[in-house]
Amino acid sequence: MAQTFLDSNELVLNMGPQHPSTHGVLRVILKLDGERVNGTECVVGYLHRGVEKIAENRTYQMFAPYVDRMDYVASISNGLGYVLAVEKLINVETTPRAQVVRVILTELNRIASHLLWLGTHALDVGAITPLFYTLREREEILKIFENYCGARLTTHAFRIGGLQYELYEGFEREVIAFCDWFMPKVAEYEELLTNNRIWRDRLVGVGILNAADCKRYGVTGPVLRAAGVKWDIRKALPYSGYEKYEFDIPVGTNADTYDRYLVRMEEMRQSIRIVRQAVGAIPEGPIMAKVPKVLKPPVGEAYVSIEAPKGELGYFIVSDGSINPYRLRVRPPSLINLQALDQMVKGALVADVVAIIGTLDIVLGEIDR
Amino acid sequence: MAAEPWDDDLTRALAQQFGNRVERYATYLGQKFLVAEMAAVRDIIEFLKLEAEFDYLVDLTAVDYPNRPKRFEVVYILYSFARNERVRIKCSVAESERPLSVACVHATADWMEREVFDMFGIEFAEHPDLKRLLMPDDWQGFPLRRDVSILAMDNRWVKENLGIESGQ
Amino acid sequence: MIPLLKKIFLVDLFQGLWVTFRNQHPKHIYTEQYPIQRPKVAERYRGAPRLNINPDNGETLCISCDLCAKACPENLIVVTSVRNEQTKRKDLTTFTYDTSRCMFCGLCEDACPVDALELTQDFELASYTREGLIWDRQMLEEGPKPTQYKA
Repeated sequence: MAQTFLDSNELVLNMGPQHPSTHGVLRVILKLDGERVNGTECVVGYLHRGVEKIAENRTYQMFAPYVDRMDYVASISNGLGYVLAVEKLINVETTPRAQVVRVILTELNRIASHLLWLGTHALDVGAITPLFYTLREREEILKIFENYCGARLTTHAFRIGGLQYELYEGFEREVIAFCDWFMPKVAEYEELLTNNRIWRDRLVGVGILNAADCKRYGVTGPVLRAAGVKWDIRKALPYSGYEKYEFDIPVGTNADTYDRYLVRMEEMRQSIRIVRQAVGAIPEGPIMAKVPKVLKPPVGEAYVSIEAPKGELGYFIVSDGSINPYRLRVRPPSLINLQALDQMVKGALVADVVAIIGTLDIVLGEIDR
Repeated sequence: MAAEPWDDDLTRALAQQFGNRVERYATYLGQKFLVAEMAAVRDIIEFLKLEAEFDYLVDLTAVDYPNRPKRFEVVYILYSFARNERVRIKCSVAESERPLSVACVHATADWMEREVFDMFGIEFAEHPDLKRLLMPDDWQGFPLRRDVSILAMDNRWVKENLGIESGQ
Repeated sequence: MIPLLKKIFLVDLFQGLWVTFRNQHPKHIYTEQYPIQRPKVAERYRGAPRLNINPDNGETLCISCDLCAKACPENLIVVTSVRNEQTKRKDLTTFTYDTSRCMFCGLCEDACPVDALELTQDFELASYTREGLIWDRQMLEEGPKPTQYKA
C-alpha cells in the first residue's frame, strides 16, 4: 500500500479572511487531502458591527438607514423588509402608490444584486469579461436609484409608512428604457457563458445541494430553487402587492452550481417582467400613509420576511411600547446559506471551493451584521 | 389589539401530544405562536417536523428580559412548505438553565444556537460545537443582554488588543 | 471552401474587432476623467450638508428648533442658541455637524421644518485631519471649496 509510505496527514489551509474570492472577510479553514477537501470550518464575524444592538438604542425611524449597510448590494430589499416589519407591528398598510414604487425599486435592486453576483462569480471562475458587462448595466440601475433618492448604494429609499420622495420627472420613461435596453444584455451574458466550455466544466455537477439538504440547512433563495423546490416568498406569502403581478418562479433540476446560474439569469428576466407590469400601473395618490411622528408600536412582536435576492430575509421585532425596538433580530439569508458550505464542499476539489462560495452569493456585511 | 387564542387541528394535535407542557396557543397580528416549557421544546419541534411537515427552521433567536424570574425567552420560528404557514415557539429560560439543542432535528440550528450563545450566553445542551460565532473567541460578556451598555462594551477589548482608546 | 476563405480573410478576427469598435462609441464610455471632468450628480444627491441663508437679508434660515439634532441617528448635530428678548425667538449661535460620522441618510433634512439644513450635491468632503471633518456654522453656510483642476 502506497499510503503506508506516504505521510497522509491532513493539510490545513486557511482561505481568507483577505482572499478576493471570499467576497469580503470570510475565513474558511479547509482540511485537505491532496486536492480533495475533507471538511471546512467557516470563521465569520470580522465585519460584525452589532447592528442588532444598535437597533435597541435607536428609534424606529432612525434605525432604517442602518439596515442598508447589511446587504449593501441589495440595500433596498433590506429597507423593504424592515419597513414592512415595522408597519406590521403598528398595523399600518402603506398606500397603493407607495407599494408599486417599492416593488419597482426592489426588483431593480434584485437585478443589480444578481448582476454583481454574476460578474464576480464569473471572475472567480476565470471569466473576466462578464464583470465589465454586468457593472455597466448595474450602473444604469444605480443611476435610477440616485435620481430617485439621491444615493446609489446605501439608499435609505423607504420610510416607515411609505416613501419620502415622490417620483421624479421621467422616472417611468427611464425605467422602461432600462428594461428595453437590458433584455438583450441578458441574452448577451447567456451567449458568453451558458454554452461556454470552460464555464460548464467549472460549474456542472459542482456543489450539489439537493432539496432535502436545503431544507435541513434552511437554505433559501436561488439555491433552494435550483434544487427544484418551487418556493418564493413573493408567491407563497405575498407582501407589498406581489400577488398582483404575473411572474414565474424559475427552478432547476440538478441542484448544482450551473443550475443556480440559470435560475438567477431567469430571475433577472422575471424581475424585468414585474417591473414592466408595475411601471404601467403606478396609481395616483399619496405616497405616505398616516403614521405618527413619534412611533410607539403596541407591546408585541412580529416576524416579517421578504424574498431578498439571496433568500429569505426576515426581521423579528419585539416592541415594549417605547420608541426604541426592545429587540430586533435580522434573519440574514447569507449566514444561513453559508452554513451549507461544508456539505457542498466535502469531497470537492480546492478550485471548486471558490466556485461554490461564489454560487452561494454571500455578502459579508449581512453575515456578520 | 391583543393576542387572540389560536385553535385549529394543529393545536388540538399538540394539546393531545403534549398536554399542559404547552402553556398557551395564540395569534398576534395573524402570526401564530405557542409558549411551551423549556424541556418540551425539542420534542415539539421534532413532532412538528415529523407529524405536521414543519420541515424548515426559519430562525432561532432569543430575547432578554432582565426583570423576569426566567430571564431569557428563546424563540423558534418554523415554516412548513406543505402547509405554507409559520409557527413561532417561545420558551422561557433562566440564566442557569441549559435548553436542549435542536441541531439534531434541524441542522441549520447549529450556527443559530452558536449565535444565541455568543450574544446572550445561553448554553445549549448537546450542541455539537458550542462556541462564539461572531465575536472574538476571547470576548468577555454577552453583548445583546439588555444590561450591557453599548458605549462601555468594547473599551477593554480595544485597549488590550489594539492598544488605543476606543473613543466612545 | 467557405471556411477556408473565412480563415484567409480573417473573418472571425474582424467580427471580434467589430464588437470592440462598436463599444468604442463615445455614447458607451463610462469612464470619467475625474479631477478634470466632474461628474454631474443627481438633483436629489445627498452630499455635503449646507445651512441655508435667506438671500434677501443674509440671515440664517435656521430657527434653532433642534429637530435635526433629535432626528439624527448618529447624534452628530449640535445646535446652540440664545433667546432673543426683543423678538421672543431663539437666535442661532453655533451649529456643528460632524461629517466624519455622517452616513448621509437625509433624516435631518427631512426633519427640518424651514428647509434650512439641506444635503447638497457637493461630494468632495475629504480632509487631511479629523478635526477638518467637524464643520462649524461658517463652513456649513459657505460649503466646501474643493480644489479645481484645469485640463
